[in-house]
Amino acid sequence: MFESFVEGIGLALRLDTMIYMSGGLFLGMFVGALPGFTTLMAMALLLPISFFLDPLLGIPFLIGVYKGGIYGGSIPAILISMPGTGAAVATTFDGPALTKKGQGRKALEMALFSSVSGDLTSDIITIALIGPIAAVALLLGPPELAAILFLALIVISATSSGVFVKGLLMLVVGLFFGMIGQDPIGALSRFSFGFPEIEAGIPLLPMLIGVFALPEIFVNIEKKASSLIKAEDLKISGARLTWAEFKSCGRTIARSTMIGTGIGMIPGVGQVVAAFMGYAAAKSASSHPETFGQGDLEGVAAAEAANNAVNGPTLVPLLTLGIPGDNLTVILVGAFIAQGLRPGPQLMEEQGALVFAILIAMVIANILFLGIGYVCIPLFARVVSLRKSFLLPITLVFAFAGTWVFRAQPFDLAVLVFFGAFGYIAKKIHFDVTPMAMGFILGPTLEYSFGQSVTLSSGHLFSYMLFERPITGAIFAITPVITYLMWRRSNRLRNQFGVDE
Amino acid sequence: MENKFNFNTIAAIMFVAGAIILFIFIPSHIDKPLIQLATGQFNLSPELFPRIIAVCMFLLGAWFLYKSRSLTEVNELLNLDKEAIVNVTTTLVMMAIYVPLMVNLGFVIGSAIMIIAMSTYFGNRNYVAGVLVGIFLPMAIFATFRRVLLVELPPFPIDIYPLTNWSLI
Repeated sequence: MFESFVEGIGLALRLDTMIYMSGGLFLGMFVGALPGFTTLMAMALLLPISFFLDPLLGIPFLIGVYKGGIYGGSIPAILISMPGTGAAVATTFDGPALTKKGQGRKALEMALFSSVSGDLTSDIITIALIGPIAAVALLLGPPELAAILFLALIVISATSSGVFVKGLLMLVVGLFFGMIGQDPIGALSRFSFGFPEIEAGIPLLPMLIGVFALPEIFVNIEKKASSLIKAEDLKISGARLTWAEFKSCGRTIARSTMIGTGIGMIPGVGQVVAAFMGYAAAKSASSHPETFGQGDLEGVAAAEAANNAVNGPTLVPLLTLGIPGDNLTVILVGAFIAQGLRPGPQLMEEQGALVFAILIAMVIANILFLGIGYVCIPLFARVVSLRKSFLLPITLVFAFAGTWVFRAQPFDLAVLVFFGAFGYIAKKIHFDVTPMAMGFILGPTLEYSFGQSVTLSSGHLFSYMLFERPITGAIFAITPVITYLMWRRSNRLRNQFGVDE
Repeated sequence: MENKFNFNTIAAIMFVAGAIILFIFIPSHIDKPLIQLATGQFNLSPELFPRIIAVCMFLLGAWFLYKSRSLTEVNELLNLDKEAIVNVTTTLVMMAIYVPLMVNLGFVIGSAIMIIAMSTYFGNRNYVAGVLVGIFLPMAIFATFRRVLLVELPPFPIDIYPLTNWSLI
């Protein structure tokens, strides 16, 4: 593992990787700064670009979009009290008040520095954790992998927003979509309904763009752009952040980083809850809690460090077990699969150096993040006022272009529109599409591992799993308990912080 | 517990019906192996996993049907106002028209028409800016995909004429 790490350092230190990562960070911040345009949408739309690049360019590019997007949301949150992304909602508690006091620049710089601090620390923790977890994961065989995938899918459904049974139903729908095409054991055709275009399965990219990007566009077009933001609202005023001010928030940033890192490893909870928890913890630990909400730099630091600290640890279950923890990492799975890399224990064994290179690139991305963010704050502040009447058709055009280049088939555009409409209706009737996407992606692997287990068991599956594979039996046994605990915890966190979807 | 029929109940009934249809479809929509080689081996039938999924969907649908009557969620589709319905429908129609435009007229021309039409519909009255964005942005995307990512978008229809070499961009 250590050799892979050392090799990974060499692979990551490439100029073109830095350039693409910088591009991803810039685009992520750009989209994040647009109110109503989420990081998820940016990642789904930019996913096709990563498909046609070397893995060491494409995946760091998307990670750049991820990191930049989470930070970018804080800019409109601070300037005009309009969070660019859900992760920045907690930033609106103190950010706009600081802007009103003429300390907008300080608030934006504090958001940047605390985001980078939280992100950097959590990335380093991620690298430290991934080696040992991957070493354990390598000991797992097909039955254990099937059991872990089963557990992961159930937990993801339980922690998705909304009613538990609706999450499970969406998971089953995703598993059904994943079955369309060829069965993973004997490659026999299933449910293609006479459409040759889906003989090899529903295309992943149009499905991901459709289900994650188009519904956001539809929600944005419900109302024609009416609220005009005045240019003077976007002026960054006041003095710069001083080292003493940043240092005084050190403890808060460290606390929020730990909260964000912990939250990042729990599937389905995410940046929004982390930001609220970081904020609440900072307020209760403060000697002056009455200043929170009135324009306290510590409030901005707490929320921003926590939400960015989630980014790295969400990759731990993804890279070691192949389990994406949230909708943003589902997009990353799409990028890995398109590159011929299937996240999981085998990936760590076969492409350990590449995985470490990607993780090291994440650490380097934070340095670029700091530079780009610092230089471009005034530019991103202006982005807030861009007209929706232009942005909406442009994003649609980009979604169609990205879908077309996947296989150059008009049928894929129909798939895109179908899943876009499906995602929009699901959103409106409170069905979370994340378990569906997870089921779609992980279903074939689950079936394959299950099939291998059946073959290994020589027809005695239950006794084989219980007596010859006790870890598998144990995972199945604890599945209901873990599911219940995770469901209760995520529900409590959502209720406590009033977070929905 | 409230006892009322709502949109969740309808969704639950659809899931139950979908599960039954799926179960019926399984034998006819899954290919059979032409030859069985190793007869002594225990392999997963290609029908087993779909059957498990169909049964799960049925059971979960039934659970949801029971649960749905106590749910108080709001159907936001019904809450959409006239403006939202018109905007979403218009966009869907534009998307439906955009597909043949893009395939037959090429990405740049099709996208230019789409951007100009949609931006005008959504309130842009600076037509010069609309036309400029509509023309130059698709060209930039086209060039990026073609030159940087080395993948093809539908070319211009006049690509067939030898004197016009669009690969220059």
